[in-house]
Amino acid sequence: MSVLRPNASVMGLPYTAPGNAPRGFTLGEHVDPEDPLEVGNSSNPHGKPRAIGPMGRRFQPYKNNGGTVVAVSGKDYSVIASDTRLGSGYSVPSRNVSRIIKLTDKCVLASSGMQSDIAVLHKVLRIRLTQYQYAHHQEMSLTAISQMLSTMLYYRRFQPYYTFNVLGGIDAEGHGWSYSYDAIGSHEKVRAVCSGTGQNLLQPILDNQVEFRQTAPEKKPEELSLEPCVELVKDAFTSAGERDIYTGDIVELAKVTAKGVEIEKFELRSD
Amino acid sequence: MASIGTGYDLSSTTFSPDGRVFQVEYAAKAVENSGTCVGLRCTDGVVLAVEKAVISKMLVQGTLRRSHIVARHATLTVCGLISDGRVIVDHARAEAEQYKDFYGRPIPGHVLADRIAHFVHVYTLHWHVRPFGCAVLLGVADVDGPQLYLIEPSGLSYRYYACAFGKAKAAARTELEKLKLNGSDGKALISCDEGVKELAKILVKVHDESKDKDTELEMITVTDGKDGGAKLVPRKVVEEAHAAAKAFLEADDMED
Amino acid sequence: MLGELEGTVVFRELLALFPTSWLERISSHPSSEAAEKTVTMSGFKLTSGSGRFERDANVQSSASGEPIRHTQRPMVTGSSVIAMRCVDGVVIGADTLASYGSMARFRKISRLHKATDMCVVGAGGDLSDFQQLTTMVDKETNRDYCFNDGHGLSPKAIHQYVARVMYNRRNKMDPLWNYVVIAGMQNGDDGEEAKPVLGLVDLVGTHFESEVIATGFGEYLGLPLLRKAYREDITVAEGKKVVEQIMKVLFYRDARTIDRVQIATVTKDGVDMGEPFKLETEWSYKAFVDGARAGDMSTW
Repeated sequence: MSVLRPNASVMGLPYTAPGNAPRGFTLGEHVDPEDPLEVGNSSNPHGKPRAIGPMGRRFQPYKNNGGTVVAVSGKDYSVIASDTRLGSGYSVPSRNVSRIIKLTDKCVLASSGMQSDIAVLHKVLRIRLTQYQYAHHQEMSLTAISQMLSTMLYYRRFQPYYTFNVLGGIDAEGHGWSYSYDAIGSHEKVRAVCSGTGQNLLQPILDNQVEFRQTAPEKKPEELSLEPCVELVKDAFTSAGERDIYTGDIVELAKVTAKGVEIEKFELRSD
Repeated sequence: MASIGTGYDLSSTTFSPDGRVFQVEYAAKAVENSGTCVGLRCTDGVVLAVEKAVISKMLVQGTLRRSHIVARHATLTVCGLISDGRVIVDHARAEAEQYKDFYGRPIPGHVLADRIAHFVHVYTLHWHVRPFGCAVLLGVADVDGPQLYLIEPSGLSYRYYACAFGKAKAAARTELEKLKLNGSDGKALISCDEGVKELAKILVKVHDESKDKDTELEMITVTDGKDGGAKLVPRKVVEEAHAAAKAFLEADDMED
Repeated sequence: MLGELEGTVVFRELLALFPTSWLERISSHPSSEAAEKTVTMSGFKLTSGSGRFERDANVQSSASGEPIRHTQRPMVTGSSVIAMRCVDGVVIGADTLASYGSMARFRKISRLHKATDMCVVGAGGDLSDFQQLTTMVDKETNRDYCFNDGHGLSPKAIHQYVARVMYNRRNKMDPLWNYVVIAGMQNGDDGEEAKPVLGLVDLVGTHFESEVIATGFGEYLGLPLLRKAYREDITVAEGKKVVEQIMKVLFYRDARTIDRVQIATVTKDGVDMGEPFKLETEWSYKAFVDGARAGDMSTW
C-alpha cells in the first residue's frame, strides 16, 4: 500500500522514470504505465513526452488519504475504530477528519481510502438508512446494512468509491460481528478485521490475538471480552502510529453493545 | 356585441376588421381590476408601492407578495393576476442572471425592460397561449441612475418618472402629477424616504372605502450607492407611513 | 500524414467531405498510418477496407457532434492560500500573482472573493476555474437574495456546496483545478454568537474544516508555521501578522509567489477584503548573502 518509489520528487510533480523502470506508488498518485500521455512512458506513440501544459501534470481522479480502520467483535459487542489523520502525498493537511459513522444504535462503519469518496458514501448511506426507517418503521439490521453496503459499492463497479470499509455491530440475536469490504463490494463476515494503510501491520496481530491463529497448540482460545478488546485495539493503533506515517493524531473508537453506541477518543503521536 | 368586431375576440391570432386584437385588450381589463400600483423615480432610487385587499381577518400579514426582487439592482411589482406576474418575475430573473453571466455586469434597466416586454409580447402572438393578465412596474438603479418602467400585457414598455396602474390609476396619476417630481434640470427632487410617504398618501387617498374595507400596503425600493440594492421596505416603516397618511388625510378632510 | 492531422477539426471536416471511395483509397494506402486495421480519431473510428467512418461509441460526444474535451491541466495558476481561524474571526491571505508556467503572467489579480457579507472564498490553482467557481457561488447567493426570505448561504453551506461541485466535476473527469479555502462567520442557532469557520476543498472533492489551512507550496512551508503559531485564543489582529509573516517566507522560497499580497478577515462585523499591499522584505540576512557558507551545511 505504501511502497514509496525511489527518487520521488518533493513537489509531487511527475517523476520521469527512464524507459521501463519499475515504478511504485506514493499516496495520492496513481500513474498509469499504459497511459500514452504520461510523461516518460515509453508507450507514448510519439516517442517523446507530450507537453501537458505549463504545470506539467495530468488529472488523477483518485487519491489515497490514508488512515487505518479496525473492527473487532465479540460475543455481545463490537469495537470499531479509526484514526483521524488526513494524509495527502507526504503532507498531513489535517489531523482531525472523522472517518467513522454511527449508522444505527447497533451498527458503526469506519472507512479509509479517499476522503471525498468516503464522505459521499457516508452521505448516501445516511439517506438510505433514513428512507428505510420511514418505509419500515424500524432501524435497519446489521445484516441488511452489510448487504446494502456491498450492493452500493458494486453499483459503482466501473468507477469505484475508493474506500475500504469495515463494519461492526450486533445482529438481531445480540451477537457482535465485523464485516470487511474491498472497494467494489466483496465482503466477508469475520471476528476481527483491519483495513487501510496500517492493514499489513495490524491484521496479523488481530488474527493472533482475537482468533488465536498461529498460536502454540497448548494455548486455549478463550472468549475476548469488551474491556481487553478495547485495550487491544488501542495498543494496535498506538503501534500502527509508530510505524505507518499515514496513521496518527487521534483515534475515534466506538463501542457497540446492547446499550447502544459509545464513542471515545484518544491521542496518537502526531509527528 | 354591437361592435363590428363581433366574433373576433376569441383568439389573439386574428385581428378584428378595424384592426384590433381584442384578447390583448381584455388582458388589459384584468389589470384594471387589480389593486392600485404606484411607482416613483426618486433622487437615490425607485420606490414601488401596491395596495393589497385584506380578504380575510385570518390572513397572515405580508402574504401573497406582489413586489419582487429581480436582481440586486432591480425590483418589480405586479399589477393584475399575481400568478401570471410570478412567471414574468421568474423570466426577468433568468434574463438578469444570463446577462450578468455573459457580459459580467448588471443588466441595464432599458435592456431588462425590453427583454421583459419582448417576452410578454410573444404571448400575444400564438393561438395556444393567452396573454399575461398583468402589467408590471420595474424599478432599476444602476450606473445610469434610477429608472422606472412599465410593461403592459400587450408587450408595450414605457419609461416613466412616476406612474400608476390598476383600479384607481386615473386618480393616482392625477395625484402623482401634483407632486413636484423634477427640477428644471430634469433631475428628481424627491428622495426614496420621502417617496415612501408620498406613495402611501396617494394610495390612501385614491382608496375606495365603499369597495374594499381593509387594505395592506406593500412597498419595495431599489437604491444606488454603497449600501444600495433592492430591499423590501420594512413592515414597520410601511405601517408608519400608512398610519401617517391616514392621519394626514383625515386632518385634511376636517379642514374641508 | 494521418498521424499528424489526427484529431484536428480540419481533418474531421475534410473526412466528412470525402466521397466514400476516397476514404477507401486513403485507408488502403500502404505508407499511410490508416493502413492499420482501425484508426481512432478523437471520437471517430475509421476501419480499413470498409471505407466507413463512424462515431466511436466509446467516446462521449457533445450535442454538436464535437467530441468533449476536458480541462486536464491547469494553465494560469495561483500559488498558496494561507488561512487561520482565530477566536474572534478568520484570516485568509494570498499573493496577487497568476503564473503561466514559470512566467509571472498577471501580477495584480485577486485570488480572494467576497461570497457573502460573512464569507470569503480564496483559491490556488487554475485561475479561470476559480473564476468559474465564484460565478457559480455568486449565482446561488444572488438567487437567495432574490427569494428575499431572510435566508442566505452560510459559510458551512458554501463549503459543502463547493465540495459537491468539485466532487461532481472530478467524477466527470472534468475537474475545476483548484484548492479552495472557505473562511467565514457562521451564525449559531437560537441567537448564539457567530462562530468562525475555516474549510478547504480540493480538486477531487476532499473537504474538511480545520483551525489552520495552507494550500499549494504553502502546504509544505506555511502549514508547519501556522500550526506552530496557532493558539486557541489567538486573535484576528495577531493572526493577520502570522499570515503576513508566512507570505513573506513563501515569497523568499516559493518561486511562484510575489511580494504583493492581500489579506482578508471575517469577523462578527463582516468581511474586510483588505487592500493588496507590498511585503517589506529583508535581503541582508547572512544566509541570503553568503548562501552555503553562512552555516547552511546542506549539500544542495
